[in-house]
Amino acid sequence: MEFEYIIDGRLRTISLEKKGDIYIVSDGDGSHEADIQVISPHIFSIKIGERSIRAYMARDKDKRYIQLDGVQFLLTEPSQQGDGFQVGEEQSKEDILLIKAPMPGKVIKINVAEKDKVRKNQTLAIVEAMKMENEIKASIDGTVKKIYCSPGDFVETQNPLIELE
Amino acid sequence: MFKKILIANRGEIACRIIKGCREMGISTVAVYSDVDRKSLHVQTADEAVCIGPAPAVESYLNVDSVIQASLKTGAEAIHPGYGFLAENAGFARRCEDEKIVFIGPNSKAMELVGDKIRSRQTMEKAGIPIIPGMKGTHKKISDYQADAKKIGFPVMIKASAGGGGKGMRIVSEEKELKEALEAGQREAKSAFGDESVYLEKYIEESRHVEFQVLADNFGSMVHLFERECSIQRRHQKIIEESPSQALDPALREKMGETAKKVMQVSGYNNAGTVEFLLDKDKDFYFLEVNARLQVEHPVTELISGVDLVHQQIKIASGEKLAFVQEDLEQKGHAIECRIYAEDPVNNFLPSSGRVLFLKEPSGPGVRHDCGIYSGCDVPIYYDPILAKLIVWAESRDQSCLRMLEALNDYVILGVKTSIDFLKDVIAHPKFQSGQTTTSFLNKHFKNWKGKDKSEDLEKLALIAASFDSLNGSFGRAGPSAELKSEYSPWLSLGKWRIGGGK
Repeated sequence: MEFEYIIDGRLRTISLEKKGDIYIVSDGDGSHEADIQVISPHIFSIKIGERSIRAYMARDKDKRYIQLDGVQFLLTEPSQQGDGFQVGEEQSKEDILLIKAPMPGKVIKINVAEKDKVRKNQTLAIVEAMKMENEIKASIDGTVKKIYCSPGDFVETQNPLIELE
Repeated sequence: MFKKILIANRGEIACRIIKGCREMGISTVAVYSDVDRKSLHVQTADEAVCIGPAPAVESYLNVDSVIQASLKTGAEAIHPGYGFLAENAGFARRCEDEKIVFIGPNSKAMELVGDKIRSRQTMEKAGIPIIPGMKGTHKKISDYQADAKKIGFPVMIKASAGGGGKGMRIVSEEKELKEALEAGQREAKSAFGDESVYLEKYIEESRHVEFQVLADNFGSMVHLFERECSIQRRHQKIIEESPSQALDPALREKMGETAKKVMQVSGYNNAGTVEFLLDKDKDFYFLEVNARLQVEHPVTELISGVDLVHQQIKIASGEKLAFVQEDLEQKGHAIECRIYAEDPVNNFLPSSGRVLFLKEPSGPGVRHDCGIYSGCDVPIYYDPILAKLIVWAESRDQSCLRMLEALNDYVILGVKTSIDFLKDVIAHPKFQSGQTTTSFLNKHFKNWKGKDKSEDLEKLALIAASFDSLNGSFGRAGPSAELKSEYSPWLSLGKWRIGGGK
């Protein structure tokens, strides 16, 4: 099964399948086996080959806080309003249709034009922050109503980028 | 000895005092505000009394409410902890009037050391070195300007009524003075209800070194060595240690004896701390007396083996000190890190919210003084200190390693904390080599943004998250589910089962 999470403003995809007692992890780098045990609702023990690590996790609506080896990550599930149920905090319709910058950065590329038809999760634009490119994706199947930025622009967190309808 | 003590505080310090009382067989009364009903100190005390609404002025600072709670429960003594009413001489006097023992110094000594200008004058008269500066306060800005020129820039603005960094400003040029004075006065007014400020010479490249003192009610007095607290942000300590790397035995003895003299001159009893500033030529100056149990007291407890809360209670109940200076030994090395709910990346802005999960660090030589638990709320109303992590080891190097390991082993999920920042400070080469001054953080950590996280750990985090999603997702519609319906209760119900685990 495929899962998507936003970490530090970047969308990351991972596939996890159960196979007997173990799990098959697949991502861009290929696939490998993982032995994952539940120690408590907040603690998992993960073994990949001989490597063993403890993961601490807490959930808050669409957010997961995960700490491994003293390093903490915040993983957020991408909004799934198009599927008919709300994920996370209540969002107004306007929030869903107006795609905003998830972090401060520079607009590298706009992949769509106004009046274009787009599919959910289609890449609309690319914003670069800290030398990493982040794909900005469509929240719903729809049409591009308005584009608020152009390539080269610097944007702040929550600045509107693209409006859909 | 007392049978029942009321603790007029909250958070980690209330919990620590409750533990100390229980060890002595004394029963405890907690007080709490409306938002603190589920706080740890309320759960761990034997009795608990609600003393008012969330804002501290209406609860933890409300003298009448605290006194009433004490009378109602029959507590014979009140331990004020630190902050809140701890250095309020009016409260100490009120306790004396109500025949409740205040666990702290007598109100007269507290009044003297609480007035920073009066105590400076007293110390100067007694021949104790003080930082060159004003001997009183002024009304007019022009008088301050004249004094600042006499003292010579840079100067430090300080509030006459108190410490904790409130009202403090460093001014390096005359043209900055007016604005800084006004800001300092405003801050002092809101923190202490008294806007008077004074100027001192600002001594660069200095260290903050303080001495813990215990004095019984019969004139017997010891010091329990120093704590160095130079690592400060916004003039507030975040890391403390003992011994200080800057002291040799001769200087330690000289400062220790001076600290005792400060307390004698003040007519002080019970536990207190004398703060000094130590300059780069190893000359030291009296700063102020902290008339309370301090946040960083565990550092002293670990290197001296003396339980300061027990001693405070014994002294307050009229016992004599059971040891003399020669009995005391400074053993090994202790470091404390204060764990604050704050965002070090974002100018140390306080963060509040719910602690979703807590794993306390543990191991040999690791002490965790804690006021939180998994599932507790961190209210916006009070100091953002969550806990203190203190380690002890044979040497400073070992102590640093132990602290780093303990910080790594520490998990707080849900609120932002200073843990990552503290790790980087302890690991810094200049900290490791003991080159700690009060400008350390400004110099080396001005625009700290945290380390880059490893790609490898991020992948493991993704595996953990997807494992959790996969096991919580039974019965939940996937992104391409056919069943989707905008209002199906079953879909949203499925969503809530994520937390179910396996």
